Amino acid sequence: MGMADGSISQKKIFVIDDDPVMRLSCSKILEKEGYSVETYEDGAQGLEHINGVRPDLLVVDLKMPKIGGIEVIRRVHEIDVDICIVVITGYATIGTAVEAMKAGAYDFLPKPFTPDELRLIVKRGLERSDLARQSQRLRQEKEALQRSFITFVSHQLQSPLVAVQQYFDVLRHLEDSPDKPKLQQEWIERSAARIQELLDMIRDWLTIAKIESGQFAECLTQVDIAPIIHNLVQAYAETAAVRKIALTTQIPPNLSLVSGHESCLQMLFSNLIVNAIKYNKDHGRVDITAADAGDFVLVNVSDSGIGIPEDKLDMIFEEFYRIKSEATKNIPGTGLGLPICKKIIDELGGKITVASKINEGSTFSVYLPKFKD
Amino acid sequence: MAEKPRILIIDDDEDFRISIRTLLQSHNYDVIEAESGKQGLQKIREERPDLIVLDIMMETIDEGYLLNQIIKFQKDYEEFKRLPILMVSSIQQDPLSRFPKAAGEVEMITPDYYLTKPVDIPKFLELVQKLLNQ
Repeated sequence: MGMADGSISQKKIFVIDDDPVMRLSCSKILEKEGYSVETYEDGAQGLEHINGVRPDLLVVDLKMPKIGGIEVIRRVHEIDVDICIVVITGYATIGTAVEAMKAGAYDFLPKPFTPDELRLIVKRGLERSDLARQSQRLRQEKEALQRSFITFVSHQLQSPLVAVQQYFDVLRHLEDSPDKPKLQQEWIERSAARIQELLDMIRDWLTIAKIESGQFAECLTQVDIAPIIHNLVQAYAETAAVRKIALTTQIPPNLSLVSGHESCLQMLFSNLIVNAIKYNKDHGRVDITAADAGDFVLVNVSDSGIGIPEDKLDMIFEEFYRIKSEATKNIPGTGLGLPICKKIIDELGGKITVASKINEGSTFSVYLPKFKD
Repeated sequence: MAEKPRILIIDDDEDFRISIRTLLQSHNYDVIEAESGKQGLQKIREERPDLIVLDIMMETIDEGYLLNQIIKFQKDYEEFKRLPILMVSSIQQDPLSRFPKAAGEVEMITPDYYLTKPVDIPKFLELVQKLLNQ
């Protein structure tokens, strides 16, 4: 009974052998398994058809007139390195079989062989070529993602400058009118904001590069996060007060020291606290608590802000990702704050999680490894 | 007397919309705006513009391409199929070569008309005029 698999996609096999009896018996055995088989009596013919059909597997005799098996292997792999090649060889040419494997053949089958042996080697070979194709597809997908990421980054960095340049160009083009000075003033303000946006973005981008270079992780010391958080809360008290947002902290006096880097941890908590204020509502709250939790110190930064849609929770740690909505429309940001937090925490061997409810608020939980001697 | 030609700007960058709107208004065009592809489609129906200035990269890397595709090929928008669309983007790249394809993404049609941002103003105005006269 054959294992016909035509329903999904029928595997294609080429058999290249100058011996007509071999061609016939191979194709009979393999067709019975449900494969589509094409046979060719020499390498030139086989190669001619490979470009159009792209077989999944090739069975090729090593010893053939004109183009030999080794040459066939080389040329097939020039066309598609993922085509699996099985070589058939007489006992006398085991040495060349090894040479064929070196040239890229998957396996070899010494003559004479039984139908079962051929079936088995073909089946294994096809499984392997499936894997090879899968991994190639993954590789290509990854490269494509990387390319579109570069496009995306260059777009983000160019946008502020493009907007400013366009303002200037239009201003130069507009004829003088009573409204023009006012317009000019307004556009200068707007341009200044865009330039600031670009400067922030470059600063954050450089921070990420610095973290990724591993500079921070090299000199880990013991750090008491309590004064860091208290200082930040003091520094942002005024910003919060403008919008009547209450900032509270709850940190036990005997909190364990964490393993880290002072400036790095300051950047981490500063980003989280700034976000908690920025994405809050007027008269809202920001509550910061810290406590020991096993091998970690757990810090929660909770806000009563606009919240994060559930389907966007995975994206917020991605570089340059910003949620676009009515609520976030007028909140400036580089899209790099949380990615920086995540990178710092990863570098320190901790983790960050987020829980959020739309319109009610978000809680960011940071686990930092305790310092060990 | 003929009505002013109506131009829809679809772009997520508010500053770009402001400068281009001001420019077009000073040349006696009626301007409407949309800040996303979704809003753009809605405005096309409601406001029936004579021309669209369409940004390519908005929320996603190829939102503009997608929109172009929808307007040209989707049955729901058949009546707008011939609406001229001028695409703009800050990515300095041959627009005919298209952006690098993201994983699993389908091939998009190339824009009929394309200008790099910031747009060259005389060239932009000339093209707008030409498309409206078609």
